[in-house]
Amino acid sequence: MIRVASLLLLMIGLYGLLSTRNVIKMIISINIMELGVNIFIVSIGFVTNGVAPILTSQVNSSLSNFVDPLPQALVLTSIVIGLGITALGLAFARKLYKKYGTYDLAKIGGMKDE
Amino acid sequence: MTLITVLITLLTLAAVTYLLSLVNSKLGAYFTIVTSLATIVMLFLIKDSIGQSYSLSFFTFKLTTVGWYFSMVMVTVYFTTAFLNPFWIKKMIYPAAYNLFFLVSLIGTIGMFFARDFITLFICWETVVWTSTFIIQMGKSRKSSYVYYVVSAIGSMVTLFAMMLVYQVSGTLEISTAFSALSGQPVLALIVFFTFILAGLSKIGIFPFHVWLPMAHGSAPHTFSPVLSGGLVKMGAFIAYLSVTAFAAYEVFANTFTIMGIPAPLYIIMVLGAISIVVGTVMAIRQDDAKKLLAYSSVANGGYILIGILLYDQIAFAGGMLHLISHALASATAFITIAIVAYRTGTTKMSELGGMIHRMPVTYTVYLIAIISMAGIPPMGGFVSKWLILQGLADRGLLFLAAAAFFGSIGSFMYVFRPLSAVFLGQLAPKYEKIKEANIMMQIPMYLLTIATLLVGVFPNVVLRVIADIQLEAGIQEIVLVGNTIVVSNGVLDALRVFIVFGYGFLIALVIFILRRKSRRVTLMDTYTSAEFIHTPELLHYSSNFYAPFERLTKKPYPVLNLYEKVSIKIKEIGHMAESLFSSSKPAITIFWIIIVFAIFFLGGVL
Amino acid sequence: MNNPVLLIVIPLLLAFLSVIIKKAGKWLLLVGLLFNTALAFFITTGETIIGGFAPPYGINLVVDQFTLVGVILINTLMLITIVVSFDLVGKYSIVLLTALAGINGMLLTGDLFNLFVFMEITVIAAYILSAQAKKYHHTITYLVIGSVGSVLYLLGIILLYNLTGSLNMADVAAKLPLLTTKELLVPVLLIFIGIGVEVKLMPVSGWVKGVYSNANRLIAPLFASVIAGTALFVFGKLFVSVLPVSDTLTLLMLIMSVMTFVFGEFAAFNQKRVKNILLYSSIGQAGLVTALFISGLVYAAVILLISNVISKLIMFTIAGAFTEKYETDDYESLNGVFVHNKFTGIAFTIAALSMAGIPLLIGFYAKLNILIGFFQAQNYVLPAIILLMAIVEGAYIIKLLLALWAPGKEGQVSEKSFAVEKKQLLSVKNTIICLIVALVIIAGGVLIDITEKVVTDGQPLLGDQSPSFTISQSKGGE
Repeated sequence: MIRVASLLLLMIGLYGLLSTRNVIKMIISINIMELGVNIFIVSIGFVTNGVAPILTSQVNSSLSNFVDPLPQALVLTSIVIGLGITALGLAFARKLYKKYGTYDLAKIGGMKDE
Repeated sequence: MTLITVLITLLTLAAVTYLLSLVNSKLGAYFTIVTSLATIVMLFLIKDSIGQSYSLSFFTFKLTTVGWYFSMVMVTVYFTTAFLNPFWIKKMIYPAAYNLFFLVSLIGTIGMFFARDFITLFICWETVVWTSTFIIQMGKSRKSSYVYYVVSAIGSMVTLFAMMLVYQVSGTLEISTAFSALSGQPVLALIVFFTFILAGLSKIGIFPFHVWLPMAHGSAPHTFSPVLSGGLVKMGAFIAYLSVTAFAAYEVFANTFTIMGIPAPLYIIMVLGAISIVVGTVMAIRQDDAKKLLAYSSVANGGYILIGILLYDQIAFAGGMLHLISHALASATAFITIAIVAYRTGTTKMSELGGMIHRMPVTYTVYLIAIISMAGIPPMGGFVSKWLILQGLADRGLLFLAAAAFFGSIGSFMYVFRPLSAVFLGQLAPKYEKIKEANIMMQIPMYLLTIATLLVGVFPNVVLRVIADIQLEAGIQEIVLVGNTIVVSNGVLDALRVFIVFGYGFLIALVIFILRRKSRRVTLMDTYTSAEFIHTPELLHYSSNFYAPFERLTKKPYPVLNLYEKVSIKIKEIGHMAESLFSSSKPAITIFWIIIVFAIFFLGGVL
Repeated sequence: MNNPVLLIVIPLLLAFLSVIIKKAGKWLLLVGLLFNTALAFFITTGETIIGGFAPPYGINLVVDQFTLVGVILINTLMLITIVVSFDLVGKYSIVLLTALAGINGMLLTGDLFNLFVFMEITVIAAYILSAQAKKYHHTITYLVIGSVGSVLYLLGIILLYNLTGSLNMADVAAKLPLLTTKELLVPVLLIFIGIGVEVKLMPVSGWVKGVYSNANRLIAPLFASVIAGTALFVFGKLFVSVLPVSDTLTLLMLIMSVMTFVFGEFAAFNQKRVKNILLYSSIGQAGLVTALFISGLVYAAVILLISNVISKLIMFTIAGAFTEKYETDDYESLNGVFVHNKFTGIAFTIAALSMAGIPLLIGFYAKLNILIGFFQAQNYVLPAIILLMAIVEGAYIIKLLLALWAPGKEGQVSEKSFAVEKKQLLSVKNTIICLIVALVIIAGGVLIDITEKVVTDGQPLLGDQSPSFTISQSKGGE
């Protein structure tokens, strides 16, 4: 169920990329895609009736039914990478705006400065 | 002295030439003469080692009579042409590179003729191709250099495919043994035959691969055109030779459909050769530029050589091989004389020249002898070789090919006569009153070539004995030579007698000429037509529009070059389409394609 | 001291240092590159465990002959690129050091997610470098397509994790044969497209034209030679030893690669600017290399890769110099530019002729191996396509060379006076470096035994069983 929802988010992100010419909207679409993938990754690690993979005073045996911790670690890394790319993308978008006065990629592609 | 020593010495000499040219280009040019002379000497020295094999790293060589013969033809052309180098070298944009490439292409051809395995053959072939491409570009036209390379690449790449295919089937790269593995596989043999011979066809300039010849020979630097026409096209003839001997086309196709005793695939190639003869001749007659005319004549003569070699029998094969040397000599001489005229006058357009005989009688005589040979008129070498080829064709009853060959012979008289009368005979234009004859250095090659042409014409058996050895090596019946005569099934040719008869005829004509009254010399611009003053006497110069009726007759030939250009444009269109489909400034298109790819994969994977 | 981790860690350390000591940025970059290149020669094959957790739970760096070749080659090429264009480094030393670390990480790692991380590091550095040309819409395009690619790749490796329970390359390789094609279809496809963005496969190479054609003398060879080479090495490792693919998948991927090859070469034929010709040629050749990897001809692929990467280094550097000195790289406007720069021209010509497949250069050796490999596998269609495309390649390369060497309109004899204005394209030091690299191209093509020994060191690369062209084969097949 969660997996389907996350893949749906991925599709929405892809659709966003397909349908827009505005750079900011593209970056937002990429974010949505990454969000979808991240949720998907976490959902991969889910084990039915599992508990969080932290050793506490109640859950102190390593043989307990833990949810898979590896995807969670992957997601952390992935979120950070997504953050970096978003920041970079927005910085370039600002530079783009300063130079061409618009966020519309199709208009810029048609401008003489190719 | 081994072949490897020869090649290494030559390469060293080429390097020395390059270094000398950097210092003084004229000196370097003179050194090319020395190097090509050294090549001739060394080739004679290794003649006794025929039959031996050599190898160096991954190159392997074998000294064969046929390789030696081809190399001698090639080096004669290079040597005589080299005499012109010092006079043009100052005008070259890259003199040192020119000298270097001139010699490296020579070494490449020699390496190729003695190659024992496919890779050596290919490497030497390609070396000649790229060095000559870079020389041709120094001339008048970059486009011709480009077309030359592209047509050559078509030939080389397809032949590489054939070589690798044969290698995979037979497991060996050695030319003489690799093809034997094909004897049991007719379809494969057919594919290999047509792909292998393609490099040869594109190099000789056989229809439809002849498009580069007029462009390249016509606009190459004047000192390289003789080499291109007299020498390099013979490389293609070597491939044709390999296709009947190493590939053993007659044996391999022995059970296939034959046309008048010749296997169909070979006949198809011979028909292409015949078409080249006709096309070459017709196009040559129409030309105004002397070099382009001679280039088309190379196309036609290439057709003769190809047909001769592919007939692979006692007479026509010997004729084809002999035509190799007689055409090489005649063509080189003709190009050299035109180059000398161009050196003195600055143009090769026949409608602008005329009356050169008054100022350059030696050049005129040399050119006359060359075209007598090219047209196949006795007593020159061209006659003997064409006669042998025609004998062979007639004997086998190959009517279409024989008709084409006869047409070529007659037509060749028309086109060789045009430069003679347009350039040398007729009236001398006032602007050329002051030009001088060619200087001594330029006259030496002319004398050498004329003597050689006469030799081949009067004493053809000197060459034919070598050719008989080649025939022995190739496994066919040798041509029968008795003393100075050639014995064929229809009769006997005694070239010396023919020469003597012609000599008598010439003497009689000479006597008549001396005894009769001289004609009155009229200058070119002294014309008179019905009290009308002429504003454009140049148009009435009798060599403008020389063969007007003939040209009207053959008004609309469809240039094959158009076909190539259309293919090139189509490729560009597909490239443009690919570019616009896949590389655009909108990432949306890429995403779209990713989705399409996914869809296709799913369909493909699920099915 | 010859721990491969240092190849990644030292450049990162120097990158941090250069943030603190801003003035020494360029020199830190040079130090890092020299150190890396020197260390690359001393690394031996083997496995290095990171963090103390043994694989398959931990991350490891795997060095085999294939990786070794990649590491040495890429580090050396980057060193040469930076040395040649040292004056253009400017403020990019941080980014370049990070890229160096990322590239080495990509080549060395033995873990799929680690590969993802290093790929992202490299790609982010690449985004920043591509912005040097100030054409931000191309950078944005690159960024968007690159992000989509990495997202798809991530999804792919997660699906693989779901199927096999591991992210370690060797472990996954061992467990994959147990799965069916249907299960493998989606992950492999996702990974293929994800890597394909960097490798420049056709549907996803929309960014290449914008980024490469505006890159300057420093950035262009970096992209075309260093990053492209890394991406191809990674592709090779993934698709030869990690993801064994079934016939349907192989066929589909092969079709895509061959399409990239054909369309890339056709597009190159259509171009008028030098950099555009070169970039489409890069796309085409990348398609060919991937096709070779997919078909299992690893040695041929590696030799072709090496030949391409070295040639493109020289050619893009000189093309960058064209833009720098003449404001244009339209080859018809640059008529006869090599008349005044003969040695630069010679280096460019040797690199170009190697791409065209002229013998005695390493490009021809690559071609021979490709042909022998395919014929041995009884595949006749692909060699025919490759040879026909070779004609197209030869055509546009010779056209380019003729325009650059021989000035003058049609019908005029070529003379120096028709050439463009005389300017020195490359400094003397750079010309000498280019000539030395060109010498390597010649040496690789002539001394083929040495080339083979250096690349394979006697062992088949990645278990490659295909034959290669050796000297003994030419001597009558004994």
